[in-house]
Amino acid sequence: MNDALHQLLKNRHIWRGTEQAESSDWQGLASGYPRLDRHLPGGGWPQQALTEILLEHYGSGELKLLMPALARLSQINDPMDDSHADSAAGWIAWIAPPFDPYPPALAQWGIDLSRVLIVRPKKASESLWAAEQALASGNCAAVLLWSETLDDGASRRLQLAAEKGQSWAIAFRSLRALSEASAAALRIKVTAGTNGTDLGILKNRGGRPAVIHDYAAALDQYPV
Amino acid sequence: MLPANKSPATAGGSPTPPVKEQQSLSLELPVVKTTPAAIASGATPVARLWLCIYLPALPLEALHRDNEGIARAVFDDQDGIPKVLLANDVARAAGVRLGFPVNAALALLPALELVERDVQCERRTLFSLAGWAEQFTSFVVIEAPGILLLELAGSVRLFDGMQKLRQAVSTGLGEQGFSASLSIAPTPLGATWLTKAGRRVCIQDAANLTSALSALPLTCMDWPLPIYESLYGMGISRVGDCLRLPRQGFAKRFGVARLLELDRATGRLPDPRASYRTPEYFIADHDLDEELSNSDLILNVCQLLLQKLEQFLLKRQLAVQRIRFSIFHLQHPATSFPLSCVQADRAVKHWFDLLRIHFERLPLPAPAIAIRLRAGQGQPMSAKTDVLQFTKNDKQRQSLSIAHLIERLSARIGNHSVHGVSTVAEHRPQYAWRPELTLDRLPQCEAMSPGFEKSRRPLWMLTEPQPLAVRDGRPLYQGILSLEDGPERLETGWWDEDGIARDYFVATNPKGARFWIYRNRGKDRGWYLHGMFG
Repeated sequence: MNDALHQLLKNRHIWRGTEQAESSDWQGLASGYPRLDRHLPGGGWPQQALTEILLEHYGSGELKLLMPALARLSQINDPMDDSHADSAAGWIAWIAPPFDPYPPALAQWGIDLSRVLIVRPKKASESLWAAEQALASGNCAAVLLWSETLDDGASRRLQLAAEKGQSWAIAFRSLRALSEASAAALRIKVTAGTNGTDLGILKNRGGRPAVIHDYAAALDQYPV
Repeated sequence: MLPANKSPATAGGSPTPPVKEQQSLSLELPVVKTTPAAIASGATPVARLWLCIYLPALPLEALHRDNEGIARAVFDDQDGIPKVLLANDVARAAGVRLGFPVNAALALLPALELVERDVQCERRTLFSLAGWAEQFTSFVVIEAPGILLLELAGSVRLFDGMQKLRQAVSTGLGEQGFSASLSIAPTPLGATWLTKAGRRVCIQDAANLTSALSALPLTCMDWPLPIYESLYGMGISRVGDCLRLPRQGFAKRFGVARLLELDRATGRLPDPRASYRTPEYFIADHDLDEELSNSDLILNVCQLLLQKLEQFLLKRQLAVQRIRFSIFHLQHPATSFPLSCVQADRAVKHWFDLLRIHFERLPLPAPAIAIRLRAGQGQPMSAKTDVLQFTKNDKQRQSLSIAHLIERLSARIGNHSVHGVSTVAEHRPQYAWRPELTLDRLPQCEAMSPGFEKSRRPLWMLTEPQPLAVRDGRPLYQGILSLEDGPERLETGWWDEDGIARDYFVATNPKGARFWIYRNRGKDRGWYLHGMFG
């Protein structure tokens, strides 16, 4: 194979169907769960892109899935880069959460609470607007959005905003959204089972769909 | 400054010494003498000149200042009976006198226009007049209702002589429709007494003051009636008579305060005053020529107002954190909304940005006819260097600061819907955290209660615990819950209204979702859902 073709294959938007995209020039954000990372291109969550998490019920272990990665993002302090000293990157915005994210538990997971921003819009359209603003502002390392009205167009907008602000967008949706098209780079179905939480990777840009049973098995360094 | 001998009453700021000492000190006649140090340095005591503006008709003039031949009078409640407090020339010519009951005045002059006294309005008028007087001097004192004092010694040269200056003040007051009497004296009290006694004099030399004051009737002083009566009983009717009385006896009879007042008026004791400063508020109105409903046009007008605000703040090197727009309509009450930002700013661009975000979702009930912009208290501008446009770090160039993001979100969604969080050292789960308004400062966490690290806490909490149904003694939530871990007994808070006695469990439902539930140990023994292990 000639060099030009190799170069092309290094682009993360192009991969061969039988294998994962080569991850030499881009890195995923390690999820903290090795069994999940193995299935994700770049060895972790896709950065600067939209991740969709589909779930039936809250309390299925959907936040736990993100916590190790979010904790790391909130603590990023780039000592080498002086120009970042007051720009305060690494914020985590929670937009329209269905309940109260409980700060003591967040702290147990190692999240820097001074980097948590909670936004409670009164209307669904405002949630999308707020998420887009937060993503594009370049201050938020991650933006978590709970929305029931996320159509294809809206997810595309979030995807673009995430790229612009170099941020990680995470949208939580109900299982009903399974049949809808989405521009997300990664779609994961979270189902709580009697033996731990199962993950179903439905769409995986640069990788292949997969099913992971009890993703957090045998990891006792984390809180519950 | 008059270097008089030490009087406790003049030692500004120092704690007041015991009363006894005060009496013994002030009973001796204060002697004005120049200290050797002052002579050596060649400094002469700064002579002050006080112009007193007395507005006897303020209650009337605060409400109406146009004289169109209408008989007017102001009344207020005196002992439960509305009585005439002040009448204008026309009413007086018709025989309406001070103290007339309102009914009597109306009987005398049916066309009389009666208005109730508005003390607030008088205050406002006086304050605005004090602001106006600041063009003549930097030292304006609001002495009493209806009396302003202007320190003019420093302004005489600028206004080309005392006569011209006094003329300018007098003309200015006349143009605004105030009838005032003016007097000038080297002491503030002296000037006030002269004016209230109706003398229109200008005493520039301190040596002439005492003789001028001596001739005044006692009524020019603001003393209580019993003192006047007893002075009249002693055959004393002039200020000069008072000054001739033995100081010891006078103080004993009428109080040291009266004696001090006499000394201050005659200049034997210094009389320091605090000057009035006009607060620096910004208010600008823009009346529209026609009703506007096009939001672009309204925004244009708002931008003009913001430009005015920027000019105002720029001149004073200030910035503001909060502004308020009011949009007036013909039929509806005005639409008014505040805008605030994390760091005080004055840039039109910044405020306009926030305004546009807010405006997008603002329903205007009717077309606008006028717009008002009001700004809060200014604070010193702290300028920060901006990032150069050609900086290599692309990400930083694009990024707004987090403060800007919070401002933008708050402008559209509301201040209280955007917040940070912090933990609180508290065992009751619902009080172990609090929202932190990010507009003012970034959150700071208290240390969590000890031993907390080991306890299991859910990532989701319900704002209000949700009662659970029970079947066969087991709680239900999307199926029968099986208890997995627990109990963790929390029994605390008995010292306030909101004490708890609960056993917390980690529970799983048949679908595998995990919850944080508790059972009350009190009377109801009920099960509640409090959190979810998301």
